[in-house]
Amino acid sequence: MTSIPLEYYLVVAAVIFVIGACGFLARRNALIVLMSIELMLNAVNLTLVAFNRWYASHHVGQMFTFFIIAVAAAEAAVGLAIVVALFRLKRTVRTDSVDLLKN
Amino acid sequence: MNANILLGLSPLLIVAVGALVLMVVEALSRFRDERLESPSASLAVSSSVVLFASAIAAAGVWFYGPENLPEVSSLAPWLLLDRFSLFFFVILTLGGALSCLLAGGYLPEHKLDRGEFYPLLLLSTVGAMTLAAAGDMLTIFLGLEAMSLGVYTMVAFRRGSPRSIEAALKYFLLGSFAAALLLYGGALLYGATGHTDLSGIGSQLANTGLRLVKSDSEVPSDMLLIAYDNAVPLVMVGLVLILVGLAFKVSAVPFHMWTPDAYEGAPTPATTYMAVVVKAAAFALMLRVLLIAFADAKTASWGTGWPPVVAGLAVATMTVANVIAVRQESVKRMLAYSSIAHAGTLLIAVVAATKATQQAEASMIYYLLAYTVSTAGAFGTLILCGSRGAEAVSYEDLAGLGRRHPAIAFAFSLFLLSLAGVPPLAGFFGKFYLFRVAIDNGFTMLAVLGLLNSVIAAYYYLRVLVVMYMKEPEPGAPIAVPMRSGYVAAALLISAVLVVLLGLLPNGTLEAAILAAG
Repeated sequence: MTSIPLEYYLVVAAVIFVIGACGFLARRNALIVLMSIELMLNAVNLTLVAFNRWYASHHVGQMFTFFIIAVAAAEAAVGLAIVVALFRLKRTVRTDSVDLLKN
Repeated sequence: MNANILLGLSPLLIVAVGALVLMVVEALSRFRDERLESPSASLAVSSSVVLFASAIAAAGVWFYGPENLPEVSSLAPWLLLDRFSLFFFVILTLGGALSCLLAGGYLPEHKLDRGEFYPLLLLSTVGAMTLAAAGDMLTIFLGLEAMSLGVYTMVAFRRGSPRSIEAALKYFLLGSFAAALLLYGGALLYGATGHTDLSGIGSQLANTGLRLVKSDSEVPSDMLLIAYDNAVPLVMVGLVLILVGLAFKVSAVPFHMWTPDAYEGAPTPATTYMAVVVKAAAFALMLRVLLIAFADAKTASWGTGWPPVVAGLAVATMTVANVIAVRQESVKRMLAYSSIAHAGTLLIAVVAATKATQQAEASMIYYLLAYTVSTAGAFGTLILCGSRGAEAVSYEDLAGLGRRHPAIAFAFSLFLLSLAGVPPLAGFFGKFYLFRVAIDNGFTMLAVLGLLNSVIAAYYYLRVLVVMYMKEPEPGAPIAVPMRSGYVAAALLISAVLVVLLGLLPNGTLEAAILAAG
């Protein structure tokens, strides 16, 4: 029985990471930007787990993934709190509505 | 876990336990504290006591000698409790304690008197200390996030202010983006080397010359599709991603866009904390990553590795930040750009560290200590200059301060002159050692550009002095009314004493810094 080759995982992860990075740079809705960051972190998770298949003698990559999942949850909590505070002040979550601080 | 490990970890544990205890105390004492003038003032004192206790513990371990605690090496590679970490513990806790004291004056004055600021600051400091001691991508990530999550909330602390929220949003989004880049770089390096610890990555890269070695374990044969040569692009992309992530964290140009906004919009004690603690921890991270993981002959050489990139970042950071700082009308924003410019100067030493690691690291550590006390003092005086409704923001707000409040103006001048690098203050020796190391190792051009930038920087620092001493406010123009606060005064006193002492008696500290870098 053949399993899916490592490269496939890496390419999928890279594509997800790039989608996340493009979403981060291009989108103006704070919630979608937050989701893009989550996508990037999940691409990292996929990469780590896939590589861990390669280095079968230890579980560093898989262990790392658990930490990333936990920290990403904490990060999302703080990020959503900031977005809620923004919405209370501006009644919108668009990032181009925040433009008070300029040179 | 034996007593020696606890002793070695005591600087971290004191802050962590202190933060948890203060959090409980704050929650339980909220109702009976209303008779006090300022509910959280006692928290400011207790958190700075916790941080100073941690600094003393770090100094204790330093004098006892980390080499006399062989058990702490069992924490490696996750936490490296060497003299380098211990010196950074002192810098970080000192910066944190000064920010706490500044917050003790600032928050009540500006009706932001909520006690959770202090536990957040302490927990964030735990993250910064973890980051400074981390020797594995995993602990780096945990420390970085623990530090950053605390700081994001501190920046957003003035919930009702659109500026504060805007600063927090920008800082949060770019900080998370940078962390994700750093992580992806780490994941690719893990794939290329099989290690997440920095020394493991470093030795793999050194042994194989950017070549993937076959893992000693059994590899599923259908997974051997990655040709060994394909590891080279893996390492290259990983290095680039990590460099960009680090550049975001130390706010090097062109990855600095968030810094002035985040610094300006945040409550000033949070700004102080970011400028001092976060920056020092980020530089500790940068030194560890670049000089342990990427220190092999190929990646750390001028022709084929990262040094020219970092040198370019250094020159761009210094020049752009100084030129923009000259044009600022807000003193707080000027100080933000000044902190970016100082990061550029520090990057020179990172480049020099490829030739003479010990001297360059020592000069960086000394520079960071001098920068910590000067910057905390400068932001502290800015806090002291303003009160609720009459804050010191623009240069004009400070007009005539030298005549009306000579002591405050004198303190401000002291810190700004130290930042400008005027002898015999702390900042002068920081710059002096750093440029000397750069010149000794053949980076004369970088040192010359750094010196030219110091001249530009002197212009905007001295402009504050000119406004304070030689200008009178326009009739009817709003002027800043200084606030009264024992906490801020105490923080300024500590910073002023250190600025003068580090300037007049630099030798002891410099020897300690060399020991820390060794």
